Amino acid sequence: MTPYLYVLPAFLVYGLFLLYPLIRAGQFSLYDWPGFGPSEFVGPGNYVDLLGDRRFRDAVGHALTLIVFYSILPLVVGLVLAAILRRGRVRGLGFFRVVIFMPQVIALVVVAVAWHQIYSPTGLLNDVLRALGLGELARGWLGDPNLALPAVGMIGFWLSTGLVMLLLLAGMGRIPNDLYEAARLDGAGPVREFFAISLPSVKAEITTALVLTIIAALKTFDLVYVTTSGGPGTATTVPSYEVYNRAFNLKEVGSASAVAIVLTVLVFGINVVISRIGEERVVGR
Amino acid sequence: MRVGTGEKVLNYVILVLFAAYALFPILTIALTALGPQNGVTEPGPHWTNIADAWRIGDFGAALTRSLLVAALVVTVALTLSILAGYAFGTMRFPGSTVLFYLFLLGLMVPAEAIVIPLFFDLRTLGLTDTIWAVAFPQIAQSVAFGTFWMRAQFRALPPNLVEAAAIDGAGGMRTLWRVVVPPSLPSIATVAVLMFMWTWNEFLIPLIMSPGAQWRTAPLGLAIFKGQYTADNALIAAAGVIIAAPIIVVFLLLQRYFITGMLEGAAQE
Amino acid sequence: MKLHPITRRRLLLGAGLAGAAVVSACAPGESVPSASGSATGAAPEVTDPAELGDVELVVWDQEVRGSQNDALVALIAAFEEKYPNITVNRTSQSFDDLKAQVSLALSGNDVPDVVQVNNARGDMGQFVKAGQLVDLTPYAAQYGWEDRFPASVLSKVRYSGDATTFGEGNLYGLPQTGEIVGLFYSQKKLDALGAEAPATWEDYLALLDEAKAAGEQPMVLGNIEKWPALHVFGPLQAHYVEPETIVQLGMGNAGATWTDEANVAAMEQFATWGTEGYFGTSPNGLDYDPAWTEFTQGTGVFLPGGSWLATDMEAVMGEDLRFMPPPPAVDGKLATTGGTGIPFSIPAKAKNVAAAAAYIDFITSEEAMQIIADNGGMPVLRTAELAPESGVQKDIYEAFDTVSQEGTLLPYLDYATPTFSDTAGTGLQEVLGGQKSAQDVLADFEADYQAFVGG
Repeated sequence: MTPYLYVLPAFLVYGLFLLYPLIRAGQFSLYDWPGFGPSEFVGPGNYVDLLGDRRFRDAVGHALTLIVFYSILPLVVGLVLAAILRRGRVRGLGFFRVVIFMPQVIALVVVAVAWHQIYSPTGLLNDVLRALGLGELARGWLGDPNLALPAVGMIGFWLSTGLVMLLLLAGMGRIPNDLYEAARLDGAGPVREFFAISLPSVKAEITTALVLTIIAALKTFDLVYVTTSGGPGTATTVPSYEVYNRAFNLKEVGSASAVAIVLTVLVFGINVVISRIGEERVVGR
Repeated sequence: MRVGTGEKVLNYVILVLFAAYALFPILTIALTALGPQNGVTEPGPHWTNIADAWRIGDFGAALTRSLLVAALVVTVALTLSILAGYAFGTMRFPGSTVLFYLFLLGLMVPAEAIVIPLFFDLRTLGLTDTIWAVAFPQIAQSVAFGTFWMRAQFRALPPNLVEAAAIDGAGGMRTLWRVVVPPSLPSIATVAVLMFMWTWNEFLIPLIMSPGAQWRTAPLGLAIFKGQYTADNALIAAAGVIIAAPIIVVFLLLQRYFITGMLEGAAQE
Repeated sequence: MKLHPITRRRLLLGAGLAGAAVVSACAPGESVPSASGSATGAAPEVTDPAELGDVELVVWDQEVRGSQNDALVALIAAFEEKYPNITVNRTSQSFDDLKAQVSLALSGNDVPDVVQVNNARGDMGQFVKAGQLVDLTPYAAQYGWEDRFPASVLSKVRYSGDATTFGEGNLYGLPQTGEIVGLFYSQKKLDALGAEAPATWEDYLALLDEAKAAGEQPMVLGNIEKWPALHVFGPLQAHYVEPETIVQLGMGNAGATWTDEANVAAMEQFATWGTEGYFGTSPNGLDYDPAWTEFTQGTGVFLPGGSWLATDMEAVMGEDLRFMPPPPAVDGKLATTGGTGIPFSIPAKAKNVAAAAAYIDFITSEEAMQIIADNGGMPVLRTAELAPESGVQKDIYEAFDTVSQEGTLLPYLDYATPTFSDTAGTGLQEVLGGQKSAQDVLADFEADYQAFVGG
């Protein structure tokens, strides 16, 4: 009875169609190649170039900023919402869950198109601002060098929150009602109850939520591609977009592959750290 | 448990506000889809937009392709994930940690990183523009997640369940399908729905892997509207509705089962 | 039993290493450089396409837009009628998608017979360098293309065999339609301002100020996609920089500079337009298509843009929509960005080269020009003759004819280097939004240009 036989079919497909191409990407990153014709071996040259590449550094910085919108904010809001739903015995819970989760099920291309229209100078957001008498704040949100990245981030926030909330709700669902009853007999309010009971019991879910959303944040491509193409200037460019742009527009497949490898390493590193912290806590309890 | 009236009202206010926030972009696109096309002045709703978008984007064929690709991806990826998850979740074997981390890596690899090498290697094999080229990279991605998910699910089963089956002399395969899978069905259904959704919504892989457009899926139909010189907000939105509607219908039909499964599945972690 | 899994793991590991070894042995792309441009040259046998036997001709194009698509559908039907032995299998997709895909597809074995390839160095230039396109010179002789097309049009599809020179040398494609960038305007808006169409750049600049003072938005630009600003800056540049120099810069040929006073003046004027609201509050936050839609609904006096917008805008604005070439350039003659639609080329590995050449010949023939005009497009040839009798299309046909006969059709700036589309698009956005100074952006342009012509 060898476990390897069970893993083998999955590993074959996975290895052939994901690991192997990844290795090939690593290999491509050592060449100077326009995507066709002959290639030239340059060793670590593409990586060395990235060190001095301001645009690449900006892209990484933007991706880290997006983590705030994709992961941290949804976690905070998701915790509050989940705590309310767990404790509050809200009627229509099913309805709210469905509605709040809805953003997750729609194709990103479609999501991007919708938000793109909302952020436009004549879009819904500006209409609302003008109706509130805040007309001077109205602008083309995706064209403002300082606000374009937060605007893209808010789409991520909109996307992630439902997923995070449901994950946390799952964790809180396991908390026995007795615990809450006991806390209330002790006179605990909603806030103390949250920090004493709800929060500690969902550490594992927090880890899962963070892992999933940080990956989503760092892999952001479709949104940037459809909404801003990395602009204005390079204000919203992210590593995945750089991969695409370098490979297809600039015809620098080697450099594109190098960015892809750095991105993969970055995603992997952040998540290993989070998982480690998460598992230690789980073991410790 | 009793909750104060003030708190209750506040809860509802927060929930309603947030629900509105989640819904309004979806409503925006639905309304735009039924709004007038450029230059059209008659009052709506303009249901013909949907028909126009359907025709221009050739969505009949595109939706069929999407369905076939999704069916293939979910079937194969689910089977492989259950097998692998069974090994990782219930057995101890040398190298399991390393192998598992290898699968975990797959969750984090951006599709952009692998499509270029995949394209060239599959083309050498003459496989581009086939359903296999579109489906298998996505199967690999789904297997990475599925294995991660099923491992967590199977790990959380009471250990004596598997042991008892082993003592009864049930073989590995039999234990898997008779003992391990049945209590995990909600979780399996959940991961199936997730895989279906991701495959349905995928954009980059079918774009690159099917250069001749024979296996282009529904989201790519949107691309035909977004050429350099052509775009009409109403038609783009209508195409968006066509792409999003099937998945929303599936979600609404399965939501109870889906959300329950999701909550139970995540709770195993 | 315990050893068994370990050997299996070793096996896996070994297989992995062996795989890695195989991998590192084969570099991406072709290991042996293909002799540049040598995929071409052999004189074709002069054959009647009707005698080629049954042929399935695979065609990829990007003519998804109304009038262009209609024209091609009609042309293909006529072509298939003329040569019943040839069946055209056409795939059309958006410009950006096709562009991304062609670079992947051309290196393969499964290539189309005819494909639209952008003239730019980043596209056609790269493919020529890699020997992936057929040199059409022999077919030009066979079909008489050099008599059919003016030299100025053909120069935009000519590269030297090694692709170092753009504008001379072998022939790699033929365009079907004409394009010209100019100024759309609303006649009613001009009347309300009590103004005439401007005859000089000074008039134009003064008119913009007048419009602004009257509370109108002087010009409309939607630049979220980055490339639309190129169509505004190009004509403006000709007010300051000699057209000859712009051609040099735009085609990426050595000997010019982006950082001289004339270019700085042009870029500073462009920056002023951006930062002082001549394009409204946020051109960088508005899309290309909604921008012209807004123009048709009454926003703005002028819309700097390409002739391809005319059909859709005319449908809304009717007679109110007018078009003019930009005022005469610094040398006193008309000069503006424009030229031809995306040319049709033949991949070096195409299976049916002769039939492909016949197809290209057919869709660029005199008869084809008529069909294109009938369907509302602007043919690249016989433009003056086929001009409609009134409306904005008449303005456009006349402008194209005058500029191409007497003035200079300036290349799109993104033709210049493989990366210039990105450099210019990003830089112009930064100038418009006030993120970077005119000098800094021009320094970026210069760096890109010099890196290319120097290396």
